[in-house]
Amino acid sequence: MSFLSNAFGKKKSSASVAKDRLTLILAHERVDCKLPYLDDLRNDLIEVIKKYTSVNDVKITSQTNQNVDMLEVEIILAKE
Amino acid sequence: MQLSNMENIILGKIITVTSGKGGVGKSTTTANLAIGLANLGKKVVAIDFDIGLRNLDMILGLENRIVYDIVDVMEERCNLAQALISDKKAKNLYFLPASQTKDKNVLERRKVKKLLLVLKEKFDIVLLDSPAGIESGFEHSIFLTDHALIISTPDVSSVRDADRVIGIIDAKSEKAKKGETVTKHVIINRIKPDMVEAGHMLSTEDVLGILALPLIGVIPDDEDIITSTNMGNPIINKKKSISAESYRRISRRLLGEEVEFLELKTKQGFFKAIKGVFK
Repeated sequence: MSFLSNAFGKKKSSASVAKDRLTLILAHERVDCKLPYLDDLRNDLIEVIKKYTSVNDVKITSQTNQNVDMLEVEIILAKE
Repeated sequence: MQLSNMENIILGKIITVTSGKGGVGKSTTTANLAIGLANLGKKVVAIDFDIGLRNLDMILGLENRIVYDIVDVMEERCNLAQALISDKKAKNLYFLPASQTKDKNVLERRKVKKLLLVLKEKFDIVLLDSPAGIESGFEHSIFLTDHALIISTPDVSSVRDADRVIGIIDAKSEKAKKGETVTKHVIINRIKPDMVEAGHMLSTEDVLGILALPLIGVIPDDEDIITSTNMGNPIINKKKSISAESYRRISRRLLGEEVEFLELKTKQGFFKAIKGVFK
């Protein structure tokens, strides 16, 4: 509804803007909440990676697409 | 079976009033529901868990009668009966104040548990006023609870923080760890029907849609609540007041009764906060 009224140039009510913003931010934040082990996982991964490289940080991002929850692990190797 | 044995079996229920954000009306709600439940004939103890930031005492109008507090009881500097303050108006209501110590981490899990189990035996309802935030005080107020009431006002920061708290409750609950469910309900506080109607405030449906939890009550924004807090006489004691009626209905719903949701007045006429009956 709010999308339609927007497309026809009608100004969105502030309440529907609030609703859309909240829905969006919470979709992101809930993933972190669902994965309470994320910090421990990151620390364990770092321990393993340290055995083979000089890297001491990994970046883990979570994404939710339709029905799939995904974790992206990014390891940036330093230049020799 | 002997009556004395029966009493040991029937344990009271722990209800926690909580929220993510501060200042959304937790203590006011706790005070009013405590009186509401006591007036329905239940033996109630209201406990302020906001260590260092005691406030429930003033809202209940009992601040001048405090001698001992919850930490004194747990550290065995006094016995429970000495610390419990009985309300003058609601005769089934007792109050256990928070301690005003600067160390907010003074509560110990083991001692909190011991105290709450004792209170469950002595009272029908143990009503906990949780501190804002998600630190240790919040955890203490959640871990033994049977029923969590999450208070949110219809604004983005309050709803967002409420959502985070809802996500944490099960992780901190002993009941949830045992595979049992912690009942959770939302109370929407300080709603302005005129603003909702004009599309300038999140509606009850909006908030419930986002939080994905059932509603147990809506309390309109009401200046009389401010004056009743000034006087130390909770609004529920007032007969003709729409917010008092909201609290009375929530109290009945907490005891399992099906009660219709209130109609709130707007300039245009009436505005139903939500359709249907609480089940």
